[in-house]
Amino acid sequence: MRRFLLILCWVCASAVYARAQSGIQVPTAGAIVDSSGALRPVQGVAGSFWLGPANVSGILSAACSEQLCLAKTDSKVLSPTGSVDAPPGPAIFGLDGDRAILFFPEPRMFARWHDDSLDPLDWTVDGEVLSVRFSAGEAEIAVRRDGQVWIVRADGSLVDSIPDASGPVLLLPKAVVFATKDEIVLRQDDGDVRFELAGAQSITVMGPGYAAVSTGGAIYALRTEPGRESLFLLPGNAP
Amino acid sequence: MRKIILLAFLLPLAARAQIALYTVNNGVETPIGAVLDLGKVAAGDTVSVRIRVRNVGAKTANITYFFADGVGFSVDRPSLPFPVAPGSVQDALLSFSQSTVAPLYPGTLSIKSDINNISVTVIAAVVVGPVLTVFPVCTGSNGSPPSIDFGLVQAGHLRLCNFSLQNPGAQDMTISTFQITGAAFQISPGLSAPFTIPAGGAVTFVINFTPSAAASYTGSLAIATRTYALTGTAFNAPLPTPLLEFDSGPIQSAQQRRLTMRLPSAASSSASGLVNLAFVPDTTLVTDDPAVVFLATGTRSLPFTVTQGSALISIGGQTSAMFQTGTTSGQIRFTLWGVQTAGDATTVLTIPATAISIDSAIATRRTGDLDIQVTGFDNTYSAGAMTFTFFDTSGHALPPGAIHADFTQDFRTFFTKAQAGSAFQVRVSFPVTGDTSGIGSVDVQLTNAAGVETQHLNFQ
Repeated sequence: MRRFLLILCWVCASAVYARAQSGIQVPTAGAIVDSSGALRPVQGVAGSFWLGPANVSGILSAACSEQLCLAKTDSKVLSPTGSVDAPPGPAIFGLDGDRAILFFPEPRMFARWHDDSLDPLDWTVDGEVLSVRFSAGEAEIAVRRDGQVWIVRADGSLVDSIPDASGPVLLLPKAVVFATKDEIVLRQDDGDVRFELAGAQSITVMGPGYAAVSTGGAIYALRTEPGRESLFLLPGNAP
Repeated sequence: MRKIILLAFLLPLAARAQIALYTVNNGVETPIGAVLDLGKVAAGDTVSVRIRVRNVGAKTANITYFFADGVGFSVDRPSLPFPVAPGSVQDALLSFSQSTVAPLYPGTLSIKSDINNISVTVIAAVVVGPVLTVFPVCTGSNGSPPSIDFGLVQAGHLRLCNFSLQNPGAQDMTISTFQITGAAFQISPGLSAPFTIPAGGAVTFVINFTPSAAASYTGSLAIATRTYALTGTAFNAPLPTPLLEFDSGPIQSAQQRRLTMRLPSAASSSASGLVNLAFVPDTTLVTDDPAVVFLATGTRSLPFTVTQGSALISIGGQTSAMFQTGTTSGQIRFTLWGVQTAGDATTVLTIPATAISIDSAIATRRTGDLDIQVTGFDNTYSAGAMTFTFFDTSGHALPPGAIHADFTQDFRTFFTKAQAGSAFQVRVSFPVTGDTSGIGSVDVQLTNAAGVETQHLNFQ
């Protein structure tokens, strides 16, 4: 036991104390693009959120994970460390650690983002690209074709389908969030969790364990953490 | 031939004249001839006519004289001298008042300028006027100026006021004008002009004041030579005390709850106002919790409306309003503003103090450190005492057992500085030496004034 043992003692507790002094902060659940196109941090805890100040405006789309937060303006992809020129229009983000796959709907172009640079990918995916994720290190793409939503790989091979989805879709590493006419559905391995909400227009990654669902008139935070699934209305974002 | 010569002599004078006089009634100008008759005036009353001086020439006229001579006549006009530019006008008020009855009061209205002069004969007759008696609850006066006030009336309700019109003279009096104006005022049927009041006699009549909505109302009652200004004010009836209700379940911190408002009975009139919320924390460490807001706007005030005949109250255009309870124990107070209610609708929700609530927690290893990150809230603002017990991968507690630490001052400093409720994310790092792969889990015990919360975390 002592072999791997550590020094857990009163002296260490003092050291812990010293570190913890700077270790308390306001929790942040992620970020959203508000109705004015500003990127706003979502602060607080589940059920008690508030929107932090807008630091960047002119944002068309954004996504945040625990390690990375990317935002798209009309001409650039912004990150906490810099920016890179990008095709016009919004973007769909598939985040994976400190890298990401981006899809630009206007030129229908995929690109790999890393270290504030974009490497175009020659992927060709038919249909309306809805979401991108990494699963076991491989990109998977949700596409709508003839009203049916499929999950495919970059080579076109079929992974799954989402027959109920009639609105936006978000692929998460281990789950799928999609909208029906009247509901938001969080589909996990052990089943579906459904939330009554009509008129969803977009579903994006808000932050670790949260998806942002926009209905046009309001933005909701969907907690996706297994066992703690909930849908919260975010304050003060009505147009 | 003599007339023709005279006309030829006068025409150039008329062409040169710049000042002309008019009466103005409801915006309509009427040229004043040689005689201006102000008509019959009740003894003691005042009759006034708006006189307009118009410069119809091409040159500025300087008015140096503008008076009404004769008993009882007066002119209210600007101080002399005053100019009237070409095409411009200057209004004045010609008034007459006398208390002695007489069939003819003559006078002269004269105006002089550096261009031309005008002189007009003015006449008026003073007659015995009827005397109006106003019975309570209305109040009124026969003169200076004649007026009747119907007082305060609830919108949609009827107020009847009784009047007696007396003839104080020794001769019968014919009332040829008996007319009311104003949308909310109406004379009860039965008496219409012309009618005669015998000498020393009286007639009675009733006026209804029926305001449809809360507002100030005006009108007029013309009786013979006298016109009474009618006034009345309507107010909305107090709403039945609104009921503020919440979705079911105990109220706690970090909740999004639904407020609905309704009336116990239908509203007798439409009304609108604001529903406000305020928060009073139990702790003195902070003065507020900014997360306690209505979610639709992120503010603490929403408009509400209720329609006449309905018991439903719309909040911000919706049937209900969502709000957050924040992360502070205390009281959320809902109040209404802008409406009168039969009783106090203030409703208070008490957010109870609870043990620290852990929203998420994670334990991770780094080289030389074990990190424990806890996100949660402490609605008592008394967090700080923590206990950590580490276990090996077999679930056996590692020596020295429970490690106690007190971060109370750190939390107090954080809460005070952030003023953002009690939500926190704390990272506690334990410096270690040796192989940490055998450390499997940790019990994190967080204590505040309301209790103890323990979370078991597996190291990732």
